[in-house]
Amino acid sequence: MAKVNGTNVNGSAVIDLRGVAIGYGAESPPVLVDVDLSVERGSFVAIVGPSGVGKSTLLRVVAGLHTARAGAVTIHETKKPGHRPVSLVFQDARLLPWRRVAKNVRFGLEGLPISTAEREERVAAALRLVRLDDYGRRWPYELSGGQRQRVGIARALAVDPDILLMDEPFGALDAITRHSLQDELLRIHRETGKTVLFVTHDLEEAVHLADRIIVLGGSPARIVQDVRNEPGRESGGFREQVEQLRSGIADNYSI
Amino acid sequence: MRQPLKLHSSIALSALGVGAFLLAWEALARSGIVPSGLLPSPSAVPGAFLTEFRSGTWQAMVFASLSHYLSGLALGTVLGITFGTAAATWGIWDAFQAWVVRMLRPIPSIAWIPFAIIWFGVSKSAATFLIALTVFWINYYATYSAVRGVDKDLIELGHAFGQGGLIPRLFKIVLPGALPGILAGVRAGLGQGWMTVVAAELFGISGLGARMSDASGLLATHIVVLYMVTIAALYGVCDFLFMQVQQRVLAWQK
Repeated sequence: MAKVNGTNVNGSAVIDLRGVAIGYGAESPPVLVDVDLSVERGSFVAIVGPSGVGKSTLLRVVAGLHTARAGAVTIHETKKPGHRPVSLVFQDARLLPWRRVAKNVRFGLEGLPISTAEREERVAAALRLVRLDDYGRRWPYELSGGQRQRVGIARALAVDPDILLMDEPFGALDAITRHSLQDELLRIHRETGKTVLFVTHDLEEAVHLADRIIVLGGSPARIVQDVRNEPGRESGGFREQVEQLRSGIADNYSI
Repeated sequence: MRQPLKLHSSIALSALGVGAFLLAWEALARSGIVPSGLLPSPSAVPGAFLTEFRSGTWQAMVFASLSHYLSGLALGTVLGITFGTAAATWGIWDAFQAWVVRMLRPIPSIAWIPFAIIWFGVSKSAATFLIALTVFWINYYATYSAVRGVDKDLIELGHAFGQGGLIPRLFKIVLPGALPGILAGVRAGLGQGWMTVVAAELFGISGLGARMSDASGLLATHIVVLYMVTIAALYGVCDFLFMQVQQRVLAWQK
């Protein structure tokens, strides 16, 4: 597998996956094959599919945390100092419990060639963006589940990434908190223009958030649907879109 | 489920317990059931303290033992945490030293007393060596399991945010994550260290243990009890101070 950090060669694509296959361990058969995917800068792409198709692992391949079995992964990163090309929001928020909120947000900025003043300013800006301005001095254990996840999002945004990877970030939250954070995320996406790659098994969440939905299915899994979507729960085709995706998954779902 | 006690009733009950223990002891000593040479009464201890304190012996013994204790504790703790971390994070080193550790571990520190005396003489260094040895193993194992127990997801977090290199991983994730377990080991070493102080000094290295040994040779059991109480008090103070530091350092825990 080749991982190339190149300049933009394919129009406005920020991620290019070519023939990517994913497996766990050399002996076992691959779980996900033939992934060809170009993600446009600024878009919000949801990846959906049943458990075990390798959604989260695909995200980790893009993040450079997992090596693909085959294929090429290209990140067209903007060459600017003091940022990281990709950053990740986890399902479990994954805050460092021994760091106060502001220091958790600062985590990814440490080691980047930026001044202390700029670092602190970026931490403050990221906390403002997720509406936790006054929470910098709190310990993670003092936060609710939704607030912890906001901190996780602030930490990911603070490094000013080209791509924000989100691994079922709202999966562990209660319905009310989940809905409010989904709306927050849409606002943040509008305000920052970041490219978002969002893994979820919740079709309604995907249809609510994403402008493009990639459905993985089959065994080994591959891309079975790639649809444009009008995000928003109020949009006219919301129900139809969800149902269409659901039947698409059912057709390709083998147990 | 036990009902939690209110703080003041819990303090009152503790004081009552200590008082009852001392009273029972005093009664037993005065009853004549046990010969007075074998069991001194607790009321004899304050007098013994005044005698030892006026002559300056008590202060000298406390100072000597504290200096053995603190130097052995510092050495054993630092080395134990260092070697425990190395073994837990570096697989090659772990495999290399695993059987050496298995062979050396079961030997109690006091079994090293002959070598301590041959190598260092009846000296402060010999006591320091023995105490350090005891404290080393406690910290080695506590650190090893604490470091191995650090959440792998947090290591992945480090890689995702550019903190996956050896130094940032160690100092920003592994050691802070292992800190509660490491500090539990340090605290256990604090207690075990005192036991070794006494054992080492019973062999003649000047300090509380040596003074107890001398006093018991003269059947001055009230002096023995005085130094037993002294050790308990010193340990209590050390443990209390350490707990204050520990609570502060681990303020991030619920």
